[in-house]
Amino acid sequence: MSDGIDPQVTELDPVIHAQARLRVVSALSVLREDDRVTFPRLQDSLRMTAGNLSVHLRKLEDAGYVEVTKTHHGRTPTTLVRLTRRGRLAFDEYTAALRALLNPLEES
Amino acid sequence: MALTDDDLPLGDPAESLALIQRERANLVRDITPDPRLMLWPWGFAWLIGFGALFLRYGPNGHVTVDLPSFVPLNLLLLLIIAAGVVTGVVGTRHARILSGPTSRQGLYYGLTWAISFACMVTLFSLFADDLPEERSSLLWAGGMVALAGALHMAGGALWNNRDLFYLGAWTSVINLVGIVIGPGWHSLIVAVLGGGALLLTGLIGWLRLR
Repeated sequence: MSDGIDPQVTELDPVIHAQARLRVVSALSVLREDDRVTFPRLQDSLRMTAGNLSVHLRKLEDAGYVEVTKTHHGRTPTTLVRLTRRGRLAFDEYTAALRALLNPLEES
Repeated sequence: MALTDDDLPLGDPAESLALIQRERANLVRDITPDPRLMLWPWGFAWLIGFGALFLRYGPNGHVTVDLPSFVPLNLLLLLIIAAGVVTGVVGTRHARILSGPTSRQGLYYGLTWAISFACMVTLFSLFADDLPEERSSLLWAGGMVALAGALHMAGGALWNNRDLFYLGAWTSVINLVGIVIGPGWHSLIVAVLGGGALLLTGLIGWLRLR
């Protein structure tokens, strides 16, 4: 416990346990299934640099949690991001686990 | 790869849940069109347009301000077109932020307003000349407000938005009351209670997103 982190907390999903990726997945979780948001709007909302967001999206994509699509709006190239079903499931399980840690009695 | 602060987990579950809520609220705000921009142009259009109509064509033919007879109805139409353009532009810009079912719903909802208003305006302009001026004004005003009320209620159903549904229901009720009481009063009721409700709903929607 030298770093002050509860050992139970470190057992949570390592992909979204990192703060930045948790923020990305949390934001994307408000989208309806099949809705995609543009990269710049997501970046603004999360107040991250484009490079930083790209790195985290790649890790989330590798885990199958998000889907990044490149398309065109007229002649403007657009990058769209959505949370996959797997990502949503992981997010739901993660938040449920956090709540269980806060209120262990409710789980039993 | 070196760990940055971003890669480190939060130690406290309560802190993590607060972070989740914060980011969710941020994105909802960033993908929702500003309710003030969507509703205030209509609120001001009704307040000013129907207000002018009341001042020129008051109850029992009372003239409070002697504006040229063509001014009030044309002013109202002009303000409504301006409001339509503002909300159309804001809505279209927002639709580009998302891609998928929500963006398609927004497009269909916007088109519903435009197409149904075009149908109504065409129909009324064919018949309005056959009616006395007072009744023709009431037909235009009452018809326009009835359609707006219905579309706001439909919007409430579509977006699962209680404020928007209440706005539509309120608009429909005051319109009905105004139509029954008669021309003149109808304009005053719609200007104050209808325009006021649009401004208030825009304000409430904005406060909820903050």
